[in-house]
Amino acid sequence: MSRAWKIAAAILVVFVIFALMSIPAMIRSVLGLRRASATAEQSRRSIIQSPISTPTDTRVTAQLFWASPTVPGTLEPSQVQLPLSADPVQRAKQLIAALITQVPTPAQSTLPADATLLQFYLLPNGTAVADFSDALGTETPSGILSEQMAVDSIVRTLGAGVSEVHQLKILIHGQETDTLAGHLDLTGFFPVTAPEPADSPAASPTPAATTSPAPPSPAPTGASNSPAGKPSSP
Amino acid sequence: MLDFARIVRVALEAQGFRVVLTREGNQGPSFDDRSTLINSISDAVFVSLHVSSTGPIGTARAYSYVFPNQAPGDPADAALTPKTQLFASLSGPRHPGLVEWNLAQSSFVARSQKLSQLAQIQLAQKFQGSPDLPLQAPVRQLRTIAAPAIAIEVSSVAVPNAQKLAQMGQPLADSVARALVDFRASLRGAAASPGEAH
Repeated sequence: MSRAWKIAAAILVVFVIFALMSIPAMIRSVLGLRRASATAEQSRRSIIQSPISTPTDTRVTAQLFWASPTVPGTLEPSQVQLPLSADPVQRAKQLIAALITQVPTPAQSTLPADATLLQFYLLPNGTAVADFSDALGTETPSGILSEQMAVDSIVRTLGAGVSEVHQLKILIHGQETDTLAGHLDLTGFFPVTAPEPADSPAASPTPAATTSPAPPSPAPTGASNSPAGKPSSP
Repeated sequence: MLDFARIVRVALEAQGFRVVLTREGNQGPSFDDRSTLINSISDAVFVSLHVSSTGPIGTARAYSYVFPNQAPGDPADAALTPKTQLFASLSGPRHPGLVEWNLAQSSFVARSQKLSQLAQIQLAQKFQGSPDLPLQAPVRQLRTIAAPAIAIEVSSVAVPNAQKLAQMGQPLADSVARALVDFRASLRGAAASPGEAH
C-alpha cells in the first residue's frame, strides 16, 4: 500500500471515530428537541385548559351529557361535582372543559380529548358563541351520528347548567365552518333549552339527534354519494 | 360508499326510477355542486348515503333536515323562523319560482320527514337494532336541496369484518327502493285527493 493510501485510510478512520463519538450527542439533541416540543405542548395545554376558578365558585352537582355506555348512539346525563362560577360565561367554560376532560371512560367521550375551548362569549340576548380549537373539527369522528352527539352533548350540558344561554353558535379557531366534520351543519345557531324534568339523573338515555341550527350563510365541501331518484317517471 | 350507491341505483332502476349519482368516482363535488345537480331535476328525490365511524354496528338510520324552532316531528312545512317567513313573503310575489339557496329544503320538510319515516320502517326491518323512528338532524347537504331529501347512515366503518359492511348493501338498496315506491304512491294518493295535507 502506497503512503498516500495509508494517509487516506488514517483520515477516514479519524472521521469514523469522530462520527461515532458524535452519535450519543446527536441522540441527546434529538431527544432534547422532542422533550422541548412535548413540554411546549404541555405548557400550551396547561395554560388553555388550566382549571378555571373564580371567586364565586361553589361546588355543585352539574349535569353533563356523555355517550351512554349501555345504549350506543345515545347521550346520557351524568351527575358530576364541580366548582362552578356564578358568572355564566365562566360557568359555561368550566362545564365545557369538564365535558372534555372529565369523561368517565374514553368510550363515553363525545368531544376529542385534544379539543380545547379557546373562547366563550355570551351576548345579552342569550346567544352564546363557543370558539373551539381545530381539534374539534379534525378529531371528531366523521359521521352524522358522532357529530350530532358532539354538538348535542355541548348543547344539553349548557342547557342544564347555564340558564342564561338560549342559543349556541360554534366556531372553530375563530372561524365559522360549514360542518363539524363533514356532515353536521355548523352555520346556524343551536337552540339551548333547559332539560325537561325527564332529564333528571335517573332519566333514560336520549337519542342524539334533535338539535337544529338556524338557517344562515353558505359554503361548500362534501363527501358522500347521493343517488337522486325521480319518482314521477316509473 | 360508491358500492352502496351503485347497488341502490340498480334497485331503484328496477322500480322504474331514473337515478343520477352525484359522483361516479373519486371526485369530490361540493355540497353546492351536488345541490345544483339535484335542484336542476324536476320531481326529484334526494337520498344521501353515508357510512358512519361510530354507532351500533349493523344498524342504519334515516335523517331529514331540521330547521330551527321546529319541534322534532312537526309535520308543518311552514314551521320556519320569522326570518324565513319574512323572506318567503317578500320573495314570493317579487321573484316567483326562485328559491333561497340556503333555505331550499324549507319547503320540503314535511315531505322529507314522510320519506324518512318510510325509509326507517324498511331499515328497521332489515337491520336489527336500528331505531324504529327516523331522526332529524341538520345534515348540511340536505339544507340546499329543493326536493324531498333524506340522509341514510349505516354503522359503521369500525366493523371488524369488512365483509359484513358489504353485506349491508343489498338490504340497504331494497330498503331505499321500497321506501321510494311507497313515497311515490303516497304522493300520487295525495294528488288524487286534493286538500289532504302531506
